[in-house]
Amino acid sequence: MSRRPYTPFVSAKTHLVLLEDAGLRVGPTVILQRVKLSLDAGEKVGLLGPNGSGKTTLLRLLATLQRPTSGGGTVLGADLMSNDIYRIRPHIVLIGHEPGLYPELTLAENSRLVASLAGRDQERARTALELVGLAGAADRRARDCSRGMLRRTELARALIVEPRLLLLDEAHAGLDESASALVDLIAARVAERGGTAVLVSHDAERLNVDRSVRVVGGMVEQAS
Amino acid sequence: MTFWRQAKEIARKDLVVEARTSEVVLMTAPFGAAALILIPLAIGTDAPLLSRLGAGMYWIVVLLFGVLVILRKSAVDGPAQTDVIRLLGVDPAARFAGATATTAFLLLLFEIILAPVVIALYNPDLRGWPWLLLILPLTAAGLALLGTIAAGVTTGLGTRISLTPLLIIPLSLPLLLGATQALEGLRLGRGILPWLVLLAAVDLALAVAGVLAARPIEEATA
Amino acid sequence: MTALRSRWLELLAIVALAASLVRSFTVQADVTQGDVQRLMYVHVPSAWLAFLAFGVTVFASAAWLRTKQDRWDRLAAASAEVGVVFTALAIAAGMIWARPVWGQFWTWEPRLVTTALLFFIYLGYLSLRKAVLDPAVRARRAAIMGIIAFIQVPIVYQSVNWWRSLHQTSSRNSIDTPLRLTLWLAVLAFTFVYLALMRRRLELARLEDQLEARHADSASELAGDGVTIPTLDRVGQNV
Repeated sequence: MSRRPYTPFVSAKTHLVLLEDAGLRVGPTVILQRVKLSLDAGEKVGLLGPNGSGKTTLLRLLATLQRPTSGGGTVLGADLMSNDIYRIRPHIVLIGHEPGLYPELTLAENSRLVASLAGRDQERARTALELVGLAGAADRRARDCSRGMLRRTELARALIVEPRLLLLDEAHAGLDESASALVDLIAARVAERGGTAVLVSHDAERLNVDRSVRVVGGMVEQAS
Repeated sequence: MTFWRQAKEIARKDLVVEARTSEVVLMTAPFGAAALILIPLAIGTDAPLLSRLGAGMYWIVVLLFGVLVILRKSAVDGPAQTDVIRLLGVDPAARFAGATATTAFLLLLFEIILAPVVIALYNPDLRGWPWLLLILPLTAAGLALLGTIAAGVTTGLGTRISLTPLLIIPLSLPLLLGATQALEGLRLGRGILPWLVLLAAVDLALAVAGVLAARPIEEATA
Repeated sequence: MTALRSRWLELLAIVALAASLVRSFTVQADVTQGDVQRLMYVHVPSAWLAFLAFGVTVFASAAWLRTKQDRWDRLAAASAEVGVVFTALAIAAGMIWARPVWGQFWTWEPRLVTTALLFFIYLGYLSLRKAVLDPAVRARRAAIMGIIAFIQVPIVYQSVNWWRSLHQTSSRNSIDTPLRLTLWLAVLAFTFVYLALMRRRLELARLEDQLEARHADSASELAGDGVTIPTLDRVGQNV
């Protein structure tokens, strides 16, 4: 699977993300229901809602890591029910609750692994760690790093991959002021390059977004 | 990035992690060696008896304790790490190939470490021992393939530590028989070839099955 | 009358089983083994069904992977449940028979060993099903494991066969015609029992799924329902 240069899967007329009555249930439990959501290029969108409302699951759905069990939609032009999702995955970065790093590898090694699998050169990994302020800690093993440092390393992943769709769960969790500002910068960068950034947060005031949607009871309500 | 490069990256990452923790060399192998020491204390230390049973006991320990080597991988690759790998566009079959390669290598290492232990304690008949250069890797590969598939279907389950061995052990019988009977066949003057062919056939069947099942397994790990 | 009609398969199974039992006890006993040989009329059909049920599970697994229709998953699960019972019965009958005949409970004969392993494969399959909560994920993982196991079972049998031939000559006694007929009758009877059990089990599974679907439509449990706003003013009072 060679890394092709990004070819736009979406035209100016289509949405980057379009969910049509998408739902997700696990056994008898409904997590998401009748979700209608459209996201366009250049947007930064906030995702708000109480605990258990389905925000994380919605992010995973947008990341194509889970398929909807009802309804459907497209992400980056790929039908969520088709195998096209494998094609568009390299253009998505999801930074979730738990750090997706290998504890026994250093921050630099984790980043180099990402660069390698993303088809980017190793230098990019080093630069990304510098940009997030971890150049001095690059050779520390992930298991010896604080939660905030791990979070920053994951933000470096967004810089390495340069996704079209950036999904951030608990966007500002565990980050100090400067790192928090970094989140906004990276999200803005993705939006400037014609992508979309989706940030989940419990703190509506902290979010620096163009618009927000609320997730309540597994459904999406558009807010201002 | 091509399939093989992806698989290589995955394998390399796994080997670096293992090198840092040395779990197989410093923990699992000594555990296996301890078992080999306990067995004669349970069944009797009669030298001819041990000599007769040595090879069989070795393979049983490799099989049963080798499952631990397989299980450690599922502990290293948690759901968050797997999500990152998936989103980087790694082909599920490449992930399977890389994971299996590492596990096979570690199982081979495990076999090599335990071999002198069983030779010293049990004094087995080593006629035809050069064939072990073929038997050890074939068995390691077969066990790794079976283990990676089983670990794949038990990902994220709370009972996977107990369930994975239950899925692996019954299906590993051809590997056990192939390994034990290969040298036995030589000793009795019958051929070794059928057993080697059996081992190779099992490995091939599992490799094909594993690659084909890689994407469906990934789809089942929401 | 309709109740009778819907139960025709069960009645057929009972009648066939009764006939088989009567025949098993009235046919001449084996010359060398005596009466204990009559256990063959339980052991052999049970073993046959153990493998048939497994075959059905695998076939249904493949069908589910192809079509994603729930009924195939139900069939696979039902056949595994019924199959594990027959496997246990085959092993138990075999062991009771072996003791007086061979002087030990186990004979290491290829078919017996493969049947024993099949028992554990079934257990693994059913344990896997039990461990996965989501029906779709459960169906998929179980289907994959079922097919992997299926590929291995003939290899298991063949390898035990070769192992046996290395160590001892296999003894396959030819069986006399009246005894053979009794055996076939037993196999037929047990097959009807399998079909009857399967029918009931599938019906039960279908009703369970229907109930779940109805439940799901009306009062679906929403994931976030149990979460409410904490009542902070009460914190610190007696806590």
